Amino acid sequence: MGLNLVGVLGRTNFSAFDWGIVVVYLAISLVIGLTVRKYVKNMTDYVAAGRGLCTALGVATITGTEMGLVTIMYNAEMGFKAGFAAFHIALIACVVTFIVGVTGFFIYKLRAMKVLTIPEFYGRRFGPKVRVLGGIMLTFGGVLNMGLFLRVGSQFIVGVTGMPEQGWALPVVMSSLLALVLVYTILGGMISVVITDYMQFVVLSLGILLGTGLVIHHLGWNNIFQTVANLKGSEGYNPTNPASGFGVEYILWQVFVAGLVGCAIWPTAVARALAADSPRTVKKQFAWASVSYMIRVMVPCFLGICAFVFIMTMAPDLKEQFTPAAEGAKADKTALEAMPVFLGRILPIGLIGVLTAAMIAAFMSTHDSYLLCWSAVITQDIVAPLARNRMSTKARIRLTRVLIVVIGLYILYWGLAYTGSEAIWNYMGVSGGIYYVGAFVLLLAGLYWRRASSTGAVAALLTSCLMVLGLTPVQKAVTALFGWTVNGKAVTFEALAKAHGYTTISNQRVSAWLCLGCAALATVLMVVCSLLFPDKKKIPGDGVASGTPEGEGGAK
Amino acid sequence: MSGWMLLWKIVFVVGVVVFAGITVWVIVAGFRDIKRLLQSIKKSHEEEVQTPTEEG
Repeated sequence: MGLNLVGVLGRTNFSAFDWGIVVVYLAISLVIGLTVRKYVKNMTDYVAAGRGLCTALGVATITGTEMGLVTIMYNAEMGFKAGFAAFHIALIACVVTFIVGVTGFFIYKLRAMKVLTIPEFYGRRFGPKVRVLGGIMLTFGGVLNMGLFLRVGSQFIVGVTGMPEQGWALPVVMSSLLALVLVYTILGGMISVVITDYMQFVVLSLGILLGTGLVIHHLGWNNIFQTVANLKGSEGYNPTNPASGFGVEYILWQVFVAGLVGCAIWPTAVARALAADSPRTVKKQFAWASVSYMIRVMVPCFLGICAFVFIMTMAPDLKEQFTPAAEGAKADKTALEAMPVFLGRILPIGLIGVLTAAMIAAFMSTHDSYLLCWSAVITQDIVAPLARNRMSTKARIRLTRVLIVVIGLYILYWGLAYTGSEAIWNYMGVSGGIYYVGAFVLLLAGLYWRRASSTGAVAALLTSCLMVLGLTPVQKAVTALFGWTVNGKAVTFEALAKAHGYTTISNQRVSAWLCLGCAALATVLMVVCSLLFPDKKKIPGDGVASGTPEGEGGAK
Repeated sequence: MSGWMLLWKIVFVVGVVVFAGITVWVIVAGFRDIKRLLQSIKKSHEEEVQTPTEEG
């Protein structure tokens, strides 16, 4: 990083006063998290907050969890690159979540069964082996998906505060934030998580509403829309145009991923449904949260668009760093870093501290829930069934705590080591697909088709492993293995297609085809295998279609 | 393009206004829910002490 770049990016309004706001906020979060640990007595308390969530608190905790800093960052990146065309994801998320809330699709029956995790549902519907395999697939996809959270979140802090990104700053910020989240999540479990989520919701919502208003005031409402029209043309508005980087197949993928998966299949979202005080509350919770699902995409996208407008028209020094004029020159900064640098420039002292606290709130509320969710799945759905459910409640809670630390250390390592170059949203969609493609088919067939069998379930789960083909390091390994190189180099599928004249192919479109193809294949295999290899005996606890009363789980 | 521009303007304004309303409701009602949550957990623990169950 040259001195000039350090100087350009170091120009931020972030002051000691703002650091004070951030530190006070973090201290309050920690104290609350530690105070409520006395309420944890069993696994239901630790993993599902005693199943006592009412509607408003449910909305707060869903919003806090699903509006993470990584979500804000990758949506801002999307807005910076694609303009208002990226808003289609927000609209889809809102409409699909609302429909899920009104109909109770998946979530109502899962809550009625009183399972603690989705693999526990697999176990009750398809038997213990499917439960363990499903737990492994969920953990693999989920933990891989979470791998870049820490790094991307820390990039925001580094960008907005003007710290140098190379060197000590990023690892130190990553380690500090992780340590903080680990402490209160380990001790308080889901009770800590939902209460800190509430506080994080308050700070986050007020912060982004205030920040958005100020950004519009600074840039001008009409100027934002007009500048995107001038610089990006119709591609900046129309997502059905393949030149926007999206296209119809991408929109269909988003109906599946940002819509159905985001609210009704993704384990951390479903965990809120399972923690609700009744199945009826779940439906209300999701209907109201549909607006949050839209905002979590739309507002960060809008901030990314504003960063684009600011950099391209008002900050010539930054424009040179993000889009250098010289032909063939490589940008020093990526679209991911545009939004924090932009906010650091335009927000005044005090407000930038509040907004940073809000973003850290977003960071923490996501990490705590994810860490708890994956570790609980390993304990409940992999280790406990393999130990033939002989583990006591104390042993389960202890193991879950250990696993929270182990997963935390993994994401610290992965955040520093991963070298993939795809857009973050793409990485998330693909890595999460290892879990959600199989989960979608198992939930759909398991809840709504009586003839679905355990063989079909295994086939569908294994099919979702094909989603790893969406990751750039894997694509390069595949093209190298089959000798599909370009200029002697291993390349991604996108680059390979472009080298063969398919110029409108983008990485997003490759991922969309891959995901939709895998989901279709998994569905076909579930149907065919279930018909060819029906379960010979009824699985104990199967009564899903009518919503049986109590999950086993091995603990209360 | 003007049709898309108008659509995204309406979606943004309506979304932000509704979210602001929900934020106020969640702040007020969510605080009440936290008190209920802690009371219900406490109550269920007291009931467990009276009728202990085997776990694990």
